[in-house]
Amino acid sequence: MLNHIAQRVAMSVPVLLGVLLFGFLLLQLVPADPAAIVAGPTATPELVAQIRQDLGLDRPVFVQFGIYLARVLQGDLGVSLISNTSVIAELGEAIGPTAELMFACLVWAVPLGIALGTIAAVYRGRLLDRVVIAISVAGVSTPVFFIGLILMQYIGYHWGLLPFIGRGGPLWSLDGLAAIALPALTLGLVFIGPIARMTRTAALEVLSADHVRTARAKGLSERAVVMRHVLRNALIPVVTLIGLQAGYLLGGAVVTETIYSWPGVGRLAVGAILASDFPLAQGAILVLALAFLVINLIVDMLYAVLDPRVEKHG
Amino acid sequence: MKHLTSIATGALLGLTAFAGPAAAQGSNNILTIVREVDSDRYDPQRSTARGASEVIFMMADTLVSLDHDMSTIKPGIASSWTVSPDGKTYTFKLRNDVSFCDGKKMTAQDVVYSMKRWIDPATRSPVRWRAGKVDDIVATDDFTVEYKLTAPFSELLYQLTQSFAVIIDKANVEALGADFGVKGFNGTGPYCWGEWKPRNEFRLKKHAAYKWGPPIYENKGAAQIEEIVWKIVPEENTRLAAVMTGQSQVTQYVPYSGLSQIRANRNLKLVDSKEAFWTYFVGFKIDKEGVNDPAVRRAMVMAVDQKAIAENLYFGEVEPAYSYISSEALDWNKAVTPIKTNVAEANRILDAAGWVKGADGFRAKDGKKLSPIVYGFTGSTWQKLMEAIQGDLRKIGVDLRVQLFDATIAWGKMATQEFDMFGMSFPYISAGDALNLYFPSANAPTPNRMNWKDPQTDELLNKGITALNDADRAAAYGEVLKKVHEAAVWLPLYHEPMKIAASARLAPFKAHNIYGCGLYKGLDLKFVR
Repeated sequence: MLNHIAQRVAMSVPVLLGVLLFGFLLLQLVPADPAAIVAGPTATPELVAQIRQDLGLDRPVFVQFGIYLARVLQGDLGVSLISNTSVIAELGEAIGPTAELMFACLVWAVPLGIALGTIAAVYRGRLLDRVVIAISVAGVSTPVFFIGLILMQYIGYHWGLLPFIGRGGPLWSLDGLAAIALPALTLGLVFIGPIARMTRTAALEVLSADHVRTARAKGLSERAVVMRHVLRNALIPVVTLIGLQAGYLLGGAVVTETIYSWPGVGRLAVGAILASDFPLAQGAILVLALAFLVINLIVDMLYAVLDPRVEKHG
Repeated sequence: MKHLTSIATGALLGLTAFAGPAAAQGSNNILTIVREVDSDRYDPQRSTARGASEVIFMMADTLVSLDHDMSTIKPGIASSWTVSPDGKTYTFKLRNDVSFCDGKKMTAQDVVYSMKRWIDPATRSPVRWRAGKVDDIVATDDFTVEYKLTAPFSELLYQLTQSFAVIIDKANVEALGADFGVKGFNGTGPYCWGEWKPRNEFRLKKHAAYKWGPPIYENKGAAQIEEIVWKIVPEENTRLAAVMTGQSQVTQYVPYSGLSQIRANRNLKLVDSKEAFWTYFVGFKIDKEGVNDPAVRRAMVMAVDQKAIAENLYFGEVEPAYSYISSEALDWNKAVTPIKTNVAEANRILDAAGWVKGADGFRAKDGKKLSPIVYGFTGSTWQKLMEAIQGDLRKIGVDLRVQLFDATIAWGKMATQEFDMFGMSFPYISAGDALNLYFPSANAPTPNRMNWKDPQTDELLNKGITALNDADRAAAYGEVLKKVHEAAVWLPLYHEPMKIAASARLAPFKAHNIYGCGLYKGLDLKFVR
């Protein structure tokens, strides 16, 4: 198990390096001059040149990347050009709300997706199955921003049931729960579809397996069979899928946070890019990539727990 | 597993039902204001964006204040003041009961420090000129300040009402260093710095000891709102929805398309004001080929249909502008004749000036095509405006090329000489305020992006600045207004009105216009239910 994890961690190092390089190069393409931003609109050209030199912007791109990399390795992500606070502090502020949103989305979407998928598999070919499939297809094919806007329009605006501008407070307070409901609902709705479909496929495979037939022959109730014997095996591919979908979840979070003014990393990244706040944008991109890797690592470990064969081969 | 699911969905549905009334109510004495943009910092002398000023007005005070009519100067921190006959020395008598948010008593030393920091070259304040040509600022005792100028400055009291001239605390500025206005701020205003999360929200807390507010407010004591939250919501329709559902109780940042809905809504009211001085225009670089011909500029001003822009883009909620400043503003010159929209006449002018239409429908002269480049800001406002202008100019054979930049780089781009025209909007309190910003030779290349370098203008502006009475000042500025207007240096577009959407839960209050900050000090904001 430990070997397995160590291997996985080692494999994510080149990925992270790639992300750092990619984020760095992307921001090189933005037609803005960080020095001009730092200097402000009324600065003289001499001052801008001076600041360019201070920031090391007058050196070759790869030298700049080298300096940046050395700083990141020391845990220094630089200082936001706009608010003059360290990027680490800004990100620290934003990670909490994003984690909150992820949790609030997964906590209902995953169980519901699995439940729907299982129901569809058990009632294969009947109306209920068709309904679940229809829901999943709709969920998979509707873009997040559209769902967000529709929910905001009706639940938030027409019926005035839930707030939709930002965070209300911690999750355990009523205000906090009310404020997170719409964003979590939006993000979760996109997530249910793929989980339900995958669960259905996996459960169908397991339902026709030998050990399930044995269980039924022992006289177990259908319910016990599904809960005890089918789900554990069916969950293996589902867990993998959740890991793969985490990327979409993070991407969806960027959109969801922007729509609902949710103060998370996604919104921070968008705001930083729009304001040409390079260090902050790079930091936010890095955090999103790290989250992606960490989620995948967790999934790998879960996978090993669920399926003992992985360790032997992996 | 099913069990879990049903609990989760049940909880969520229950929550929805539960949160209904609570969400619409908002917390009892917290006021949420939604707005579009944040400021990069809240240092009064270094931040010139409206986004900074509107918060600073609430956190700090000025020596004198401006009444709702935008022309009467009223007391502020100074209870009275005198001006020497030569107009060079202003003596301010300060109130002796003013204290900062941290409890420290405010004295004349704080005023001197604040003003000196403003004009100190090391501060690099972009609005240093607004303080006038200062000889020295001294405290003659704990509650008297002498503001000495090298030449009279008729605008001084108006400039001292602006957020750039608020009183700050030396100890606080020095303790915070580069973090001043980022991590904290100690002012004497009706509200105190609570917490700022950039691009997210700015929280202000009530200053309980406050009782030195400007006499323009009904409320003579401390603020009646416990906490104000300035929340950033970039999407305009979301801001409108937030006001309609009561999540935000007051804002001046609602889209024009939503104003009719607000008027029709019984839970909301629209507070507006006649004296809104914020004007949108396009300026010409008068030394660039093509637009250096006054006939061309005049024809272009004539071709653009301001009335159609106001009706089609802004639902008739803005006032079409045919002048560089609002005719309601101080020192407006009635002798200025507006250049009204007239496409036929514009075409005639260009024909007479020798600009011939080619096969492609665009005009040229001496083999040079009339195809100016205009720079502006990205965002829905300028994008739509520029498209409308481009369309109108096609009717007279001008091929306008539009280039828009994000606000973070636009300012730098507009300091260059690469373009022929630029789009801009600005707040002002008087003719002098506007003219002294844009038209002195010394202010080229920015903010005088037109390269308008005219000795006579400089002389008149100086006459206006140093005038010792209202009539002389008005005459001098009126002359400049007429001159630049006849030279068609700008293409005026519209005057932006001040319209504040407010919840019916709030007691009646008046809209202000100082620097385009509708709520000014927010002393009359109060929930009545």
